[in-house]
This record gives sequence, C-alpha cells and structure tokens, in this order.
Amino acid sequence: MRSHETFRVQDAPLRPLLVKELWEILSGRALWTMLLLMCPLIGYSFFQAVSLYGEASAAGLQSPVLAASLSPLDGVLVPTLGASYVAVTLLFPFVAIRVLGQEKESGALRLLIQLPYRSSTLIAAKLAAVLAAWVLSSVPAFSALAIWRMLDGHLSAPETLNLLFGHLLYGLLVGAIALFAASVSESAATAAIVTLAFTIGSWVLDFTVAGHPGVLEWIARLSLTQVLRTFEQGLLSAGLVVGIGTAVCGFSALATVWMPPGVHVRTKLFRSLVCVLAAAVVLGLATQIRFSVDVTEDQRNSFPVADQRVLAKLAEPLVVTVHLAAEDPRYADLQRNVLAKLERVLPKLSIRLAGGRQNLVASAGEDRYGEIEYTYGGRSDISRSTSPREILPLLYGLAEVNAPAPAPGSDYPGYPLMAGGQLALLWFFCGLPLCIAIAWWRSRRLPANHNKLTKEA
Amino acid sequence: MDGVLHLASPYPPIQRNTPLPVEAACVSEQADDQTLLRVDSINKQYADQVVLANVAFDIQAGEIVGLIGPNGAGKTTVLEVLAGILPAETSDVHWLGRPLPPSRRREAMFYLPDGVRPYQDQPVTRVLSFFADVYRKSADEITNTIQAVGLTPVLHKRVHSLSKGYGRRLLLALGLLTPHPLLLMDEPFDGFDLRQTRDIVGVLRGEAAMGRTFVLAIHQLLDAERVCDRFILLADGRVRARRSFSVPAPRTGLTSGSLEDIFLALT
Repeated sequence: MRSHETFRVQDAPLRPLLVKELWEILSGRALWTMLLLMCPLIGYSFFQAVSLYGEASAAGLQSPVLAASLSPLDGVLVPTLGASYVAVTLLFPFVAIRVLGQEKESGALRLLIQLPYRSSTLIAAKLAAVLAAWVLSSVPAFSALAIWRMLDGHLSAPETLNLLFGHLLYGLLVGAIALFAASVSESAATAAIVTLAFTIGSWVLDFTVAGHPGVLEWIARLSLTQVLRTFEQGLLSAGLVVGIGTAVCGFSALATVWMPPGVHVRTKLFRSLVCVLAAAVVLGLATQIRFSVDVTEDQRNSFPVADQRVLAKLAEPLVVTVHLAAEDPRYADLQRNVLAKLERVLPKLSIRLAGGRQNLVASAGEDRYGEIEYTYGGRSDISRSTSPREILPLLYGLAEVNAPAPAPGSDYPGYPLMAGGQLALLWFFCGLPLCIAIAWWRSRRLPANHNKLTKEA
Repeated sequence: MDGVLHLASPYPPIQRNTPLPVEAACVSEQADDQTLLRVDSINKQYADQVVLANVAFDIQAGEIVGLIGPNGAGKTTVLEVLAGILPAETSDVHWLGRPLPPSRRREAMFYLPDGVRPYQDQPVTRVLSFFADVYRKSADEITNTIQAVGLTPVLHKRVHSLSKGYGRRLLLALGLLTPHPLLLMDEPFDGFDLRQTRDIVGVLRGEAAMGRTFVLAIHQLLDAERVCDRFILLADGRVRARRSFSVPAPRTGLTSGSLEDIFLALT
C-alpha cells in the first residue's frame, strides 16, 4: 500500500526550483542572442571611449591642470556601461519575460503552481534567475573593464563597484517589471509591449517633460533612467537604493498577486491595491532619507574636506531662496555645484524657489531674478554666483566662523592614458562571441544524470 | 441520480498549515470513511453563460472515476475548479469530511491538464529530475516510474521533440512522481493507440490498487469503460448520472446497456 503523505508548502526544497529556473533561462535563445548582440555594442562603445579618452589625455599629459579633469569614471566607465544600459532597456525585458511567459504559454505554469511552493517563492526564484541572467549579460561589460586594466587604465574600486551596483539595481528593476508584465499578460508579446512601455516610456519622459516645472517635473522623476544618473555621478544614495529596492519588491509582489490563475480578478485587484499603497508609503519615506556617500576619487559631490568639517558643525537652519526658474541653466549649475553638496553636509537646510514653479519667460522680467538669498541665524546675504568659491565664504560670514585653510595634498591628480583599443575590437567582435557560442552549445548538452537514469531504467 | 447534494459538514474547517488527514484515505478503511472527496457544489459562469451548475459528486478512496460527457459539457472546467486553478462562483469541496478551500487543494490533489508540454527546451530526464527532486523521490522510485510509463526510449530527447503519446506519458510520469493521494487527469489517453492505452490502464490500475485515487476526464467512452470503476456523466454543465459500471442505470429506462447507450439516452 502506497504512502498517502501530502506535501506541505514549507517542506519543499528550494534547490530544485532554483536549478530549474537557471536551466530554463540558459536554455532560451533570448539570453544568448542578447549576449551576442551586446558584444559589438559594448565593444564599440568601449573602443570609442578609450579613443576619445586617449585624445584628451594627449593634452593632459602636458598639463597637470588638464590631467586633473581626466577621470576614467566619466571617460570610460560611464560610456561603456551606457551601452549595457541600452541593451538592458531594449533587450533584457525579453529575457526576463521568458522566465514566466514561457511557462504561461506552454501551460507548465499550471503544473508549477501546484508544486509545494508559495507564489512568492516562485517569483523570488524567478527573480533570482533574472539576477543570474543579468550577471551573464554583464560579461561583455566585465571584460571591457578587464581590458581597460590590461591597458594600464586606472579603476577606482568604490567608483566602479558603485556604478556596477547601480546597473544591477536597474537590471533587477527592469526584470521585476518584466515579471509583472508577464504575470498580467496572456502572451509574451503583450508582456514585452507592457515592459517596453515602462522602459522606452522613461525615455519619452526624459525627452518631453524633464526640466519643466510643476507636476511635469514630478512625473519626470518617475523615469527609470533617473535610477542610473546618481550612480553615474559617483553617489551612493541610501534613499535611492531603498526606493529602487521598494520598486523591485513592489513589482515582484504584484507579479506574485497576478501569477496564480485560481484567484478571482477582484481579489487580485484588492491585493494589488494593498501592494501599491504599501510601496507608495515606503517610497515616500525613502525620499526623506538624505544619507549618501560620495564614492568618487575626486570627491566631486562634496566640498573640500576642511569645508565639510566646518559646515557640518553649523547647527542653525540655513534657508536658501532662489530667484531662478527651475529650467534655468544657472539653477542647474547652482544645484550641482552648491545646493546638492550643501544638502549632503548640512543637517538643516531648506531650499525654496521664490517664484514657485513658474517658467523662465514669466520669471525673467523680475528685478530680483537671478538672486540667491542665504539666511542663517537671523542674518542674510545675497549672491548671484553659482560657484562654491564665492558662496562658501558668504556662508562662513553669515555663520561668523573662520574659513578653514585648504588641506594640502588632497588634489585629484587625474589619470590620463593614451591607449589604443584596436585589440579590444578583435575581442568583442570575434573572441567573445566565439566564447559565448561555445557556452551556448555546452548549455544545450544533456545533464549529467541522464546516463544514470537511462542505465537504471 | 442527477439531484444536487447539499451536505452540511459535521467537521470544523481545516486550519491553515495543519496537515490534512490523508492517512485515513487508504482503501482498507471502513466503507463510511472511504469518501475521500465530496464535492457539494461547484458553480461556474463566464459573464452570463453558466458553465457549471450545482455540480456535486463523491469520490471514494482507491477508485478510478471517469468524468464523461459530450464536448463542451464542462469536464475540464470541473477538474480545474476542483484543483483550485480556476476561480468559481462556488467551490464547496470536502476532503475526508472537512472543508478544503481552493488554496489548499494542491496539498491533496494534483491536476494534469490536457495538451501541456512542460519545459519544451529541456530533455525529458531533466524535467523528471525536477519533479523528483521537489518531492525528494529516490532513484528507485524515478526508475520505476520511467519503466512503468515506458519513457526509457525518449529520456535523452527534448520535450518539444516528443510525439503526442510520449508527451502524454511524460505528463503521466510527472503525476505519478507526486505524492498526492488524488490525481485529476484531463484526457489521459488522448494520443495513445490501443496497446498503449491498455498499458497505461494497467499502470493506473496498479496505482489504484496501491491506494491512489484517480478522476479522469475522458471523452472516449471505450477508454472510460476500460479503466473506470465508476462514471459521472456531465452534460451542459450539470451532472446527469453517477453510476458504477456494475449497476444498470434505471433512470435511462434501460435494464441493461453499454455506457454508450446511457450516454446517448442522457445527453
């Protein structure tokens, strides 16, 4: 007589599920095709970046001042990984959708959901497969970094890791959106359209509404491309990381809600609403987290160390009233050179645009347009400058503290390098695609236990 | 025998994460305890169209029950609602006398849908290994299952390259690798020739003799007669008859007759 034990949800081992998800993603043509397409894309971007960096370095090698402006982060890493960003935006959704869409289309999902796993566990395993796919799809980018090092190029570990972390979070976000799209769509094609509506829709937001004041500015902040910008500037922002993590969890939770077919749509809608509200609350809280770390070697997101120390001791609230329109380039300069740095160091800072969110044409005629008023401890001063060299002494004057002496030896030297990238082209157009093709062929081989099962059977 | 049963359960509802009392489902139990599954009422409709209306029946432990009926009668829908993978307006099901909510159906029963080719890019052996690993089956159990359903010649093939018959065998093997006391199978003999059907009937009979219960949705009446102990006849989303093959159906007016006669008389 057979045993009649049932299989409870918490009894099931995770390993077979993870192994299955990994094999599923490795078996699909989508991942390998994407990898093959990424080789020339990243290779050419890397070649171009190294060439331009080399041209700029020619002058930099003659002048230390010019050399100080040569940073591999801006010159090589960001453009090279920018190609990876394009591929993840346009191609990675197809890889991620396959993780769930294939099972949905073949009917295997109806078997899968009967296995002793929670829906959340199934989605978590699929997200792990998406993560594995991202790691694999980053092989061309990793090899570009390795070639840069072989060319004797400089890589700052914190800068590089921070940028890679940003791309990882972006990949996971796109993957989570794809999983959600696959869970609500009947076919992979529909899921692809839904996902691309998010990713390419972000580009549309960037082109159409970014820089506009008011509600449009708020909408522009929803663009996925904003995710990478902070990391590309060399900042590791706790609020941003929490925000992206929340978005990934939120989309995964929505996928968990919509994946099981045996639940009424109204129940799914209610659960989705709960997920969206919870995510919105956490996202709202994340915007209040101001902690960030400047991981750049040249500390471009911070004032000099001596100034940072003095500013951090200012206990009174500083109020900055800006008489500029939000889309005025001077406001962008002020924001980048002064306000963003002040936000990171001052415990109590309040910034307000004097004209509300009115546009450039409406504001430009005002007498005070262009003034920036700083108020600290009941005293105030006005400047039109957007440079910290003028504004920091002004702040020290308001706070009645002495300006610190500059710390010696803290200047960023820059890393000029004249290198040819022709050999890299050979790797990206021939060597790496060949390696990928071989790996693809090997992944199609039968599993090791095949012979054992055949023999026993 | 097409009345709808509405039985009040004397048992409290099953609490979440409490093990189901499946040990009592063994066929050696007393006759009163042998009602493994009692379907009190299943109602399902799409917009204004009623697909299932007050479908009710009992399943005894260790029997093979055929769900028969013309195309569009609602056989697949009954199985999917029963398995909890299709929402329904009502789905009152009792397992050994206790209410079994849809969210916990998968702990007691496993449903093998029709026309599913799972994981088409994978070799058969990998798909089998996945299910076996999930349920921690031993190598002997896997081997026995492979031999029982005759999958040995195609273990090295990818699922998408299997013939219809072997695809069906693979699905059956996956079902047999699960530990569930009740298997729901939609058109399990579709794609089999006569010899293969008889082989698989033998496999199901062997499993039933060991205590496993089967509910098979079959539209080929000959196949149903070969394998089933009992049938439930569905037509237009309603149960028209529930009879054992050994007992003639008086409502049809036939004192004797084949399943085909009963089918034609009631549908």
